[in-house]
Amino acid sequence: MQKKTSGFFERTLEDIVSLLIESVSRDEIARGKGFLQGCDPRFKLMSVALLLASALVSKNSEGLCAIYLVVIVLTLLSSVRLSFFLKRTLFFIPIFSLFIVFPAIFNFVTPGEPVVSFTLFGIGSSITRQGLGSAGILLLRVLDSVSLAVLLVLTTQQHIILKVLRVFRVPQLFIMTIGMTWRYIYLLLDIVQNTFLAIRSRVGYVTSSKTGRRVIGANLGTLWLKSWRLQNQVYDAMISRGYTGEPRVLDEFGAHAVDFILLAISTIIFTGTLCLNRYIR
Amino acid sequence: MPEPLYTLKDVSFSYSENILALNGLDLTIGKGERIALIGANGTGKSTLLGLLDALQFPSSGTIEALGRTLTERAMNDAAFQRQFRSAVGFVFQNPDIQLFCPTVREDIIFGPLQLGVDKTEIVRKLDEIASRLRIAHLLDRSPFQLSIGEKKKIAVASVLIIAPDVLLLDEPTAGLDPRTTRDIMDVLDEEHSKGKTIIMATHDLHIVEEIADTVHVFGSDKKIIRSGTAEEILTDHIFLQENNLMHSHVSRYLHQK
Repeated sequence: MQKKTSGFFERTLEDIVSLLIESVSRDEIARGKGFLQGCDPRFKLMSVALLLASALVSKNSEGLCAIYLVVIVLTLLSSVRLSFFLKRTLFFIPIFSLFIVFPAIFNFVTPGEPVVSFTLFGIGSSITRQGLGSAGILLLRVLDSVSLAVLLVLTTQQHIILKVLRVFRVPQLFIMTIGMTWRYIYLLLDIVQNTFLAIRSRVGYVTSSKTGRRVIGANLGTLWLKSWRLQNQVYDAMISRGYTGEPRVLDEFGAHAVDFILLAISTIIFTGTLCLNRYIR
Repeated sequence: MPEPLYTLKDVSFSYSENILALNGLDLTIGKGERIALIGANGTGKSTLLGLLDALQFPSSGTIEALGRTLTERAMNDAAFQRQFRSAVGFVFQNPDIQLFCPTVREDIIFGPLQLGVDKTEIVRKLDEIASRLRIAHLLDRSPFQLSIGEKKKIAVASVLIIAPDVLLLDEPTAGLDPRTTRDIMDVLDEEHSKGKTIIMATHDLHIVEEIADTVHVFGSDKKIIRSGTAEEILTDHIFLQENNLMHSHVSRYLHQK
């Protein structure tokens, strides 16, 4: 039983580390060649934001399907394997959303024209056309939003996403702190993982729950001290290279015609969605 | 004797009241010198490098560099700070603390950017240093995707791009394979041929002879117990063994050809 307790912490750590490693290997796609990978990140982010806004304001399934089609075309143009992309976007979040919207298809949540009628526990119920419509639109909206977000993350390196935040006037110090946090979480996790390995190599699995808690408590303390020392040393390393409290960065972005075209198409889709909403009303 | 670059007078340093790290050090370092600081663990070598880089300041005594006494006040003078940080580069022992940016590229250009170097010039220097150290393929990687040897090279590159006159190196070859050690030694040789001053703390006696003209040996009393040429120090095996710098059985093979 105690083996499981010890194994739980180690497995959790291993999972976190492998998640971080996976997120880095995902950068392989972002570093590859493709349409979105070649776009200026600022334009790419603005375009994705416009498409997301279009999906959020769209009130009809045709519009949402059209946006999804755009996402699929962008995916193919960006050399992202379609099966890989669909596996990441079609499952989990849309399926969870399906469970959430399921009650909305019934007449007791969304009254309207019955499509199928049945009796449940002696009460007459029905699935309504309006209910199915609302649930379908919500699902498509979630699918569009998740797909757009995943496509952006897959085709953009993390540090570039952070850099682009500057466009939205996020202070450079904040962006730099996030970047450094990301960098050192991995290092600290590595230290914790090695500490667990060292304990196991000397004493085997933790023998009781009480001992387990003591080991983890002691490790938290040690880790805090190590991270404290680390942050002092990192600050020294920054000072040593001329840091004075106001980070300066190199702006390497450069827009090309294709970036303007992408932004124009996204703007047209957004404007078109707004017009379509008015026309349908 | 070359023109003095650093002059240390009776320098002591304590991390706390009970932990003395350096004890009354007198030392003059001339421009263009190649110096190795050797000594057992905890004898004050890394502390001295930290003082020479003005990351910490003496508890007593004075250090003069670039015509000024290194004090916290002097380093708060923006002009002097910029001049000093442009002139002195420090390669830390643990490259993980030196590589704090999300990518290698950002880490390398961090220094010149903070020092206000022109951005076109930074890009030119980055290309030059990446090609010189053969690290161009690593530029877009995250530091935690690198091996220890690659990290060390990047740490060296992040300092060399500043083109400092003085290179401070703490255990530059510790834990590295022979080829990476050779690469780093070649870079240091090249820098010295350009007239740079090199001050290096190391336990690796094999590189001392090649990389240093002068060797200062630190003792357990946190003082320099002996200074001399690399040949003088390295051939005195009894002295090296007494000061925990050489293990007895190592000396059995040192002379074998």
